[in-house]
Amino acid sequence: MRKRKFGTIATRALCAGAICAVALSAHAQEVMKIGVIASLSGGGTAWGLGLERGVQIAADQINEQGGLKLAGKTYKLQVVPYDDQYNAAQAKTAADRLVNRDDVKVIFGPVGSPGAMGSLPVTQPAKVIQFVDGYAPAILKNEWKGAYVFRINNSTLEFSEPIVDWLKKTYPNAKKVGMIAPNDATGQAGVPILATAYKNKGFDVWTEHYERGTKEFTPLVLRMMAQNVDVFDLNANAPGEAGLLVKQARQVGYKGLIVQSGGAGIDELIAIAGPLANNMMKYDVIDESLPRVQPFVALYHKKYNGVMNGLAPVYYNAANIYFEAMRRADSTDSTKIRDQIEKLGGNYDAPIFGKVVWTGEKNYGVNHQLLHTFVIKEVQNGKATVKAVITP
Amino acid sequence: MSKQSTIDSGALHQGIGPRKLGERPARRWLTHPAVLAVVVLALIALPLVAPDKFILSVAVTTFITAIAAASLHLIVRTGHVSLGHAAFMGIGAYVSAIATMQMNLAFPLALTLGFLAPAALAFLIGPVVLRLTGKYFVLVTFLLGEIVRTVFVNWSSVTGGSSGISGVPAPSSLFAQPVPFYYLALAFVMVILAFIGRLLTSEIGRTIESIRESEPLARCSGVPVLSTKVAVFVLGCGLAGIAGALQGHFVHYIDPTSFSVDQSLNLVVINVVGGMYTLIGPIVGTLFIVLLPEFLRGYVELQHVFFGIVLIIVMAFFSGGIADIRTLFTRLSQERDTRRGTR
Amino acid sequence: MFSFSVLAQVFVDGIGLSAIYILIALGFTLLFGIMRVVNFAHGAFAMLGGYALYFLYGNAGLPYLVAAPLAALIVATAALVLERLVYRFFYQKMFQSMIGLLGLDMAIMYLAVIAWNAEERSVPPGTDALMHVGTLVFPEQKLIIAGIAAVALLAFFLFTHYSRYGLAMRAASQDVDIAEAQGVNSTSIYRLAFFIAIFMAALAGGFYAQTYALSPFAGEPQLMIAFVVVILGGMGSIPGVALGGLLLGFANSFLGTFYGSATSIFVSFGAVILLLIVRPWGLLGTREA
Repeated sequence: MRKRKFGTIATRALCAGAICAVALSAHAQEVMKIGVIASLSGGGTAWGLGLERGVQIAADQINEQGGLKLAGKTYKLQVVPYDDQYNAAQAKTAADRLVNRDDVKVIFGPVGSPGAMGSLPVTQPAKVIQFVDGYAPAILKNEWKGAYVFRINNSTLEFSEPIVDWLKKTYPNAKKVGMIAPNDATGQAGVPILATAYKNKGFDVWTEHYERGTKEFTPLVLRMMAQNVDVFDLNANAPGEAGLLVKQARQVGYKGLIVQSGGAGIDELIAIAGPLANNMMKYDVIDESLPRVQPFVALYHKKYNGVMNGLAPVYYNAANIYFEAMRRADSTDSTKIRDQIEKLGGNYDAPIFGKVVWTGEKNYGVNHQLLHTFVIKEVQNGKATVKAVITP
Repeated sequence: MSKQSTIDSGALHQGIGPRKLGERPARRWLTHPAVLAVVVLALIALPLVAPDKFILSVAVTTFITAIAAASLHLIVRTGHVSLGHAAFMGIGAYVSAIATMQMNLAFPLALTLGFLAPAALAFLIGPVVLRLTGKYFVLVTFLLGEIVRTVFVNWSSVTGGSSGISGVPAPSSLFAQPVPFYYLALAFVMVILAFIGRLLTSEIGRTIESIRESEPLARCSGVPVLSTKVAVFVLGCGLAGIAGALQGHFVHYIDPTSFSVDQSLNLVVINVVGGMYTLIGPIVGTLFIVLLPEFLRGYVELQHVFFGIVLIIVMAFFSGGIADIRTLFTRLSQERDTRRGTR
Repeated sequence: MFSFSVLAQVFVDGIGLSAIYILIALGFTLLFGIMRVVNFAHGAFAMLGGYALYFLYGNAGLPYLVAAPLAALIVATAALVLERLVYRFFYQKMFQSMIGLLGLDMAIMYLAVIAWNAEERSVPPGTDALMHVGTLVFPEQKLIIAGIAAVALLAFFLFTHYSRYGLAMRAASQDVDIAEAQGVNSTSIYRLAFFIAIFMAALAGGFYAQTYALSPFAGEPQLMIAFVVVILGGMGSIPGVALGGLLLGFANSFLGTFYGSATSIFVSFGAVILLLIVRPWGLLGTREA
C-alpha cells in the first residue's frame, strides 16, 4: 500500500517537474555579466559600495522590466563585483578574472587611480569598456589612446575654472586661498590644477599636504590661519577628512569662508562636522530636490540603509549611459557599443546628469570625459540647499 | 601553565617561540626529489593544459609573492621578523622601472640594479638595526618601511609621487605575452627557491639556525653573529627587490600604495601561518594567502575575519605554522591526556 | 608666525593632544607591563568603545556622564570572554601575542564592517561649547578629556602602588612564580588587569570618536599612537605614558603648526627609531633582561 502511494507521488512529482522545466526553458534568459571593480575593504569601502550599489540599482531596474533585449535575445543582468583593495596589483587580478574568466564586456570602476592604472593594461587590449573614476590624466591619455575607457565624473580639470569663476563673482572681496589636501594621487594631481585656476583669477594661493590617515589637523589649520587666508578650500578631501577639517578649523577659531571644490556627496561631511559646518559651501554632483533625481534617491534608501555615498548616483548615471548605448547598438560587440556611447553626446538625457556631453579632446586626446552640470550647496543646520547650478 | 611560561620567556628562545631542542619540523617527504620533480613538471605543463589568461595571471602573482615571502623567510630564520619588507620590494620595483624607462637599460641590467639597490640600503642600515631583538626590530622595520613609502610619495620628480609610474614595459616584446612571462616568472621562482633551500641546508644554514636559537651561545662558539645576520639581511632584501621589479614589469604600473605596510604584513602573515622554521612554510603560506581570496571573492569581509581567526589559532597552538601541523595534533592529544589525568 | 598668540594656541592644542594620547596609551602599557602581551587588538577595543558610546549616547540619548563609563564597562565586560578564549594563550609570549592579536584585530574590525558598514559616523561631544580666553579658542570637550586624563594617571599610579590588587599586579609582572608562591592568584590578577586595560582603551576610544570620527577603522591610528607613546615613555611604565604622551602631543602640535605635516612625521618617526636603537626600553622604562 505504502509503496504504491509513494510511486504515485513520485510520478506526479516527476511530471510536475518536467512541465516546469519546459515552461522555464521557454523563457530561458541568457545571463549577461556586468563587471564591477571597487575597493570593498579597507578605508575606501564607502566609495566602493557606492559604486557597486549605483550599478546594481540600474541593473535591477532593467531586470525588473524583463531584462535587456538585444538583437532578438533577452539578457538577465548579473553584477559581478570584485574587491581591488584600492591597489593596482589586486585591480589587475580582478580585471584578469572579469575579462578572461567571467567574459564581461564592461567594467564599472575602479575608483581611484591605483586601481584604474592597474586594470587598464588588461581591459584596453581586450576591448573591454571601462567606466572609471580617478583623477590621473593617464587614465584617458595613454598608449591605447583611451579607446575603451570613459571617465564619468568631472575631474578637477573640468570643474576648477567654473568654480573659481563663481567664487570670484559671489565673494569679490576674497583675496587669499588656503588649501589643505592629502598627498595621495587625487590630492597631488588635483591641487596644482585648482591652484593654477585660482592664480589665473588673481587669488593668492597657499597649499599644504598631509599624509592620508591623519585625523588631527589643528596644527595645519593654525599654520594656514597664520597666512591670513580668506577662503579655506577643502578641494578633493574625502568626506571624513573634509568633515574633520571643517570641525577643527572652526574649533580653533577660523572665521573665514570654507568651501569645498570637489568631492561628491555631502551627508557624511555634515554628520561629522555637525553645527560647525554651517555657512560652508560645497561642490556636489546631484541636486536631490530635482524631480529627475528623487526616484533614484528613493530607490537607494529603500534598498540600502545608511548614508548614500556620492558615487552611487554617478555610477547609476554611467550604467544607464552604457545600457542605452547597448540598446542603440543592438549588439554585444564592444566596439559598436563604444561608438554608440560616443554618439550619445548631445543625444541622450541620462537620468541623473541630464544631457550627455563628452569632452576632453584638448586635454587628453580623446573625448571620453563626461562633462556634467554640478551644483554648489550651502550647509545650514544639517541641511544642504542648492545655491548655484553651474554648467561648465 | 606558569611553569611553561617561565621556560618560554627564558633567554634560550629569543621570543620567536618554544621549540624542543632537536625537533626538526621539516617535512622531509615534501622535499624528496621525486615529489619536487612532479610539482615542477606540473607547473611547466600548466599553460599547455589550461591556457586561461586568468589562471596564468594568478600563477604569476603567486610566484612573485612566493619569491618575496621566501626572501623574508631567510631573514626570519635568523630570528628577526621584518615588517618593512614590502618597502624593499618597492625600491627594486622603482629602480628597475626607472632604469628601463628613463635610462633605457636592458631588462637583465635593470633587474640587477633592482637587486642591488635594496641590498645596498640593507647593507647600510643592517649593522645598526640588526642589533635589536624581537619586538623592537619589528617596530624599527615598520617605521623604516613607512619612511621609504613617504619618500616614494613625496619625491615626485623621480617616483611620480602618489600617481606612480605607469606604462612600465614588459621585459621584452616576447615576454609581453602571458605564456612566456609565466615561464619567466616560473624560472625565477624555481631558481631562487632552490638557491635559498640550498643555502639553508648548508653549513651557512646551520649557522643561521644557531643564531636564531641562541645568539650568545653562537657568539661564544665563534660564529660571527652580526656579519652573518647582515649578510642574510642584505641577500633577503635584494631578492625582495627582484620580486618587486618583476611585479612592476608584470602589472605595468607601480605606485606607493603597492608597497606599504599592508603588503609587508601580508608577507609576515604568510611566513607565520605557513611555517617559520622551514622553507616549505612560505610556500604553503603563499598558496594559502593568494589563492584563498580567489575562492572567497564576494565575501571580502568574511575573508578577513577568517584570516584573523586563523592567525589566532596558529599562533596560539602551533607557532610552527601549517608546515608544522603535526605539533597541533600532538598538543591537542597532550591537552586531552592532561584533562584525563594520564599525565 | 611665532607670535605669542600662536604659541599660546599651539601650547593649548598640545595639551589637548597629549591628554588623548595618554588615555589611549594607558591601557596598552598596562597589558604589556603585567602580562608581557603586545596588544595589537588595542585599537579594535578602542573602536568598539567608540561604537558603544555612539549607541548609548548618540542614539539612546543617555546622559553623558552615564553613557561614557557605561560604554567602556560594556566593552570591557564583553572582552572578558575574549580573555578566556584568546588572550590566555599569549601571556608571557611576546612574539606570538603580536601576530595572534593582530589576527584578533582583523577579525574584530571586519566583523564591525559587516555589522555597522564602513561609513564614517560622528559621536556628538559632551559639550559643543567653545572656550574663548583672549585670542585662544578651544573646545570645552578637550578640557574634559584633559581632566579625565589627569585623573586617570593619578588613579593608576595610586592603584599600582598602594592598593592590594595593584601591588599584586606589580608582583606578578616582576616574577609570576614567586608571586604565586606568595599567594597571588595570577589568573584572576591577569583578568583584573585585562579588564582595566580594555576599560581604558574603550573609554579612550569613546573620546577619540567624539573628537574625530567613528568607523570600523578608527582603531588603527589609536594603536599607532599607543605604540609610539609607550615606546617613548617605556613599556609598562605609568609615568612613562605621561611623559611619552606629553612629548608626542607637544611635538605634533609644535612641529605641525610651524613646519608642516611632513616634517612632523619625519621627526617623530626619526626620534622613535633613534630611541629604539639607542635606548629601546624607553625614557622611563626598565631595561629588560
